[in-house]
Amino acid sequence: MKSAFRNAYLFTVSLSRSLNPNTNPYLNLSSFSHKLPLLSTTTYLSPPLLISRHRKVPGRSFSTTLSMSGGADSPSPSLDKQFEEFRSKLEESGSLREKIRAVVLEIESTTRLMHSGLLLVHQSRPVPEVLEKAKAQIGVLQGFYNRLAEITRECPGQYYRYHGDWKSETQTVVSLLTFMHWLETGNLLMHSEAEEKLGLNSLEFGLDIEDYLIGVCFMSNEMPRYVVNQVTSGDYDCPRKVLKFLTDLHAAFRMLNLRNDFLRKKFDGMKYDLRRVEEVYYDVKIRGLTGTGDSKDANQGVVEGEDYDVKIVG
Amino acid sequence: MLLTRLASSTVHRLFIVASKPNPHLLHQGAALQIPPKTARTMSTTSESSSSSSFKEAFGNYADYLNNLNEKRERVVKASRDITMNSKKVIFQVHRISKYNRDEVLDKAEKDLAAVTKQYMVKLVKELQGTDFWKLRRAYSPGVQEYVEAATFCKFCRTGTLLHLDEINATLLPLSEPSIEPLQINVLDYLLGLADLTGELMRLAIGRISDGELEYAKKICQFVRDIYRELTLIVPYIDDGSDMKIKMDTMLQSVVKIENACFSVHVRGSEYMPLGSSEPSSFLLGVSDVEL
Repeated sequence: MKSAFRNAYLFTVSLSRSLNPNTNPYLNLSSFSHKLPLLSTTTYLSPPLLISRHRKVPGRSFSTTLSMSGGADSPSPSLDKQFEEFRSKLEESGSLREKIRAVVLEIESTTRLMHSGLLLVHQSRPVPEVLEKAKAQIGVLQGFYNRLAEITRECPGQYYRYHGDWKSETQTVVSLLTFMHWLETGNLLMHSEAEEKLGLNSLEFGLDIEDYLIGVCFMSNEMPRYVVNQVTSGDYDCPRKVLKFLTDLHAAFRMLNLRNDFLRKKFDGMKYDLRRVEEVYYDVKIRGLTGTGDSKDANQGVVEGEDYDVKIVG
Repeated sequence: MLLTRLASSTVHRLFIVASKPNPHLLHQGAALQIPPKTARTMSTTSESSSSSSFKEAFGNYADYLNNLNEKRERVVKASRDITMNSKKVIFQVHRISKYNRDEVLDKAEKDLAAVTKQYMVKLVKELQGTDFWKLRRAYSPGVQEYVEAATFCKFCRTGTLLHLDEINATLLPLSEPSIEPLQINVLDYLLGLADLTGELMRLAIGRISDGELEYAKKICQFVRDIYRELTLIVPYIDDGSDMKIKMDTMLQSVVKIENACFSVHVRGSEYMPLGSSEPSSFLLGVSDVEL
C-alpha cells in the first residue's frame, strides 16, 4: 500500500539539488522527470516542518512516552524506500565515477607518451621535431577531455564532486603543455590558452585554476635540468633565456596569496629551480661562454663581447 | 678547479647576502649582477610584454584565489557555528526523562529552528553553483552535526526517521525562490545518520537507567534498522573510508544497546515492574545495570 501523495515541487527541488545544483529547480521541473526515471515513484510528505505525519508502523504498542505507536519488528516501508532511493542514486554516481576513472587512465597513458617524447629535448634533439610528435597527442587529449565533459554533463554542477579523480593527471597535462609552449615560443601558456588547447570551456567543463598553477610549478621543475643539458651540448644562450623566464614566473607567482596547501609547496619548490638556473647562468657567464650579448641584457648589466676575455686557471 | 668552487661558494654567499656583486669575482667591475633576493616586483625585470602580461594574468589568478580562500573561511566559520549549536540541541534532547518529554523536545525543536534560521542560512549564498561541491570539505562536518540533531529530535518526538527530503524541505524557506536553495546532499545526510546512532546509544543506556526499557528496545530496533539499511549503501559512497569507520562504531553502538537490553531482560525477576506508570518502579535493591 503506497501513499499516493507525490509532491512534484518538492520532489524535483530536493532531488534536483543533489544532482543539479546549478540549475534553478523552479524553472526546470519538466526537464527533471525524464532525467530521473528511477525515482519517479517517490512518495513523501509535504509539510515543511520537522514533525511530519508518517504512516503508522504496524507493531506492538509502544511505551507511553512516545505519542506514536509502533515498535515495529520489521523496518518501516518508508525507511526502506528512502534507502532504496539512496542506493540507486549512489550506484549511479558510482558508475559515473568508474567511467570517469577509465577516461582518466587513458589521459594518464597519453601524458606518459608525451612526456617520454619530450624528454628527448634533454638529449638536444631539435626542438621542432620533438614538439611535433608531442603536439599530435594534444588532439587525443582533447578527445579525452571531451569525454569527461560528456560524462559530467549528466550531472551538472558536480564538477568538483569528481574533480579529485582527474586532478593530478590534469596537472601533469598542464605541465607538459606549458613546457611545450615555452620550448616553442619562450612564453608562458596562460590559463585561458591552456583551456583552449584542451578544448575546455569554463562554463561547462573547465580547467581549474589551481590545477593550472600547480601544473606550471611542475613545468618549472624541468627547467634546471633542461638548462644544464643545453649548456652541455653547447647552447650557451639558453641559461639567459630560461633565467629571465623563470625570474618573471617566480615574481608573478609571488603576487598570489597562498594557503599552506599543495600549491604552496610546489611554489616553494620553484625558488630552488630558479636558484639552480641562476647558478648555471653564472657559471656560463663568468667563463665567457655566452656569445655576443644583445640589448635585452642591458638591465642585467652584462658585459659581453669579444673584448671580454677571462682566463680561468683550473 | 679550486676557482670554480670558490666562484660557486661566492655565488651562494651572494644569494644569501643579497648585496652588490662581490668585488672578488673574477669579472671586471660590476659586470655581473645577480638579481638580488629581496622582494622583487615586476618592474625590476625588463618591462617586456611577457612580464606585463604575466602580471595581468596572475593578478586575475590572485583575485580568484583570494576570493576562493575568503569564501572557504566564511564557510568553515559557518560550519563551526552550526556544529556547536547543533551539539547544544543534542545535549538538550538528552535531558529528556519520563516526565519532561514534551517541554524538553519543544525547547530542542525551537533551538534547532534557530540553528536553521541563523546559521544554516549562511551557507545558502556561499554554496551557489559549483561551490556546493567545491567547498564540501569545509561545511560537511557542520551539516552532518545538523542532520544528527534534526534526526535525533524527530526520533524522540515520533519514533521515526527524518527523511532527507523532509529536512531539505525545512531548508527551502531560507532562500529566495529565485536562487538555488541549500539542500543537503545524500552523503552528508548518511554520515550524519551514522553519528545519530551513537547518540541514540547514549539515549538508550540512559533510558534503561531511568527504567524505560520499552523505549530502549524501540531505540535498539531503530538503530538495527538503520545499520542494516546502511550496510547496503556503504560500498557506493564517494570516498567511503569515513563511512566505513562510522559503520564499525555503529555496530558497536548496536551491540551496546542489545547488551544493555539483555542485562535488563535477564534480570527481569529482580526488577520492579518496568514500563509501568509507577513512578517508583526503579531498580530497587539491585546494583547498577552492567553495560
